[in-house]
Amino acid sequence: MEIEVSGKIRKTEERHSAEVSTQTGFPSAATHYMEAPIDLNEELSIHKDATFYIRVKGDAWKDFMILNKDVLIVDRSLTPHFEDLALVVEEGVFKVIRIPFDKHQDTCTLWGVITYIIHYAR
Amino acid sequence: MGSDYLYYTLRPMIAMVDCNSFYASCEQIFRPDLWGRPVVVLSNNDGCIIAANKEAKALTHIPMFEAVYKIKHILIKNKVTFFSSNYTMYGEMSQRVMNILGTFSPCVEVYSIDEAFLDVHGFSHIDIQAYGFDIKERIYQYTGLPVGVGIAPTKVLAKLANRMAKKIPIYDHVYVMDTEEKRIEALQWADIGDIWGIGRKHVKRLQAIGVFKAIDFVNLPLAWVRKEMTIVGERLWKELRGESCLEFMTVPNPKKAIGTAKSFGQKLPDLGRIEEACAYYITEVAEVLRAQKSCATYVHVALYTNYHSTIDKQYSNRMTVTMPIPTNDTFALIAHARKALHGIYKSGYRYKKVAVNLTGLIPQEHVQGNLFEQQSKITDAKIMKIVDTLNMKFGKTTVSSAMIGTRIHEWELIKRERSPRYTTQWRELLEIG
Repeated sequence: MEIEVSGKIRKTEERHSAEVSTQTGFPSAATHYMEAPIDLNEELSIHKDATFYIRVKGDAWKDFMILNKDVLIVDRSLTPHFEDLALVVEEGVFKVIRIPFDKHQDTCTLWGVITYIIHYAR
Repeated sequence: MGSDYLYYTLRPMIAMVDCNSFYASCEQIFRPDLWGRPVVVLSNNDGCIIAANKEAKALTHIPMFEAVYKIKHILIKNKVTFFSSNYTMYGEMSQRVMNILGTFSPCVEVYSIDEAFLDVHGFSHIDIQAYGFDIKERIYQYTGLPVGVGIAPTKVLAKLANRMAKKIPIYDHVYVMDTEEKRIEALQWADIGDIWGIGRKHVKRLQAIGVFKAIDFVNLPLAWVRKEMTIVGERLWKELRGESCLEFMTVPNPKKAIGTAKSFGQKLPDLGRIEEACAYYITEVAEVLRAQKSCATYVHVALYTNYHSTIDKQYSNRMTVTMPIPTNDTFALIAHARKALHGIYKSGYRYKKVAVNLTGLIPQEHVQGNLFEQQSKITDAKIMKIVDTLNMKFGKTTVSSAMIGTRIHEWELIKRERSPRYTTQWRELLEIG
């Protein structure tokens, strides 16, 4: 029995093996040029064991172009640099800040550096 | 023995890393409002406390081992935050910790959800103390979880070093036992009950003959230890003397039996509902069975009324069925468990609990066919694989046998205070703002 699978769980290895024409038996011209497709998981979370996804509710940080329903990709493994967006904790509450030139002037605790903002476009 | 003997350097070969109050720490990562505050985590069905952070442990007037319903008001009064256990999240955080440990040593033995041994054999060219602090700091930075690190020549000593790292504040959660003097000091410091692997029964017997500290234990004659505590005691004795005899196990031993026994949320008189619960538990254990690539030969089912009850009539019984071919196919296991259940069920009782247990586990590649049983093994395995993939991705029992019915939440653990599955479910992400 062959089980037809569709949508999200389609097997990728079959999709990306070199195509051979069932009609002629000749391999596709792309045979030697096949590459794995872009995997957002690989591109957007570089340090997987240190990466967390966090959803934003409300427009408190719209000045940083972070809007309601956006998902932040936060990488805890990075050292924050000047002007980085970072997730911090101040008096027990999460806050998004831009890292100031003098890092030590703030009284908050760094939680992680924001690397990407996934914006909800609908 | 000359006193300069004490200054011999020891080769630290094993690092023991464990997370501090792991479950509570996992919860606190995502709840900065609870940083520095008492947090406890409850057992399955919210029955009792299974983990407490140090702030909660400091509230010594709270009887932490009492049933939760009895002490709930005390917890609330003391502003202790309690969580139902969220094993999905703890398991995922544990995986992160183990992955990070994998960057420190090629050989990591995952000992439990929050403990691991690292082989640091031959790391003599690096500053082992700094290495220990690196582990601690990197795990904390990457995951937010605090850990302790103990490094010593043997596993049992590493476990002891880990304890010292945690209990003695000046060590700041990292302790390296790298001289003979430090080993002796550790043995003088540790109570006999602190030694990994010495159970309560042996502690009592040892105390009765005047053995109170670890040092007293290693000074016992080997012949006595061997006679009274078997090979297990002998290994401990040798390990504490710095002779390594516990092997490194990077591949876990497959379980010999897999089972589950959970009480229903209510008392159930009719067979139909009990069948559903039974099928649900089989679904759970069969998943574990496939994960370790084993097949089960026997299915045991046991049924109980509530023996604490004084008003109900009491009955319990059990039955074992043999599978025609050892299998890990959920559907085949459910069908046979159902036969067993029919064999023991009697009407007229209000049942409290059904237990299922799979035994006779063999590696799935060792399964031999049966002349009279033509099982379409390949397609069944394929179906099970797809079922597992779907359930892994979209959540438990997204796809399952219809036998489990539609009321599965009733068989699931009562988890009233469970935190969101922040790291595995897109819909349950941490929300801020």
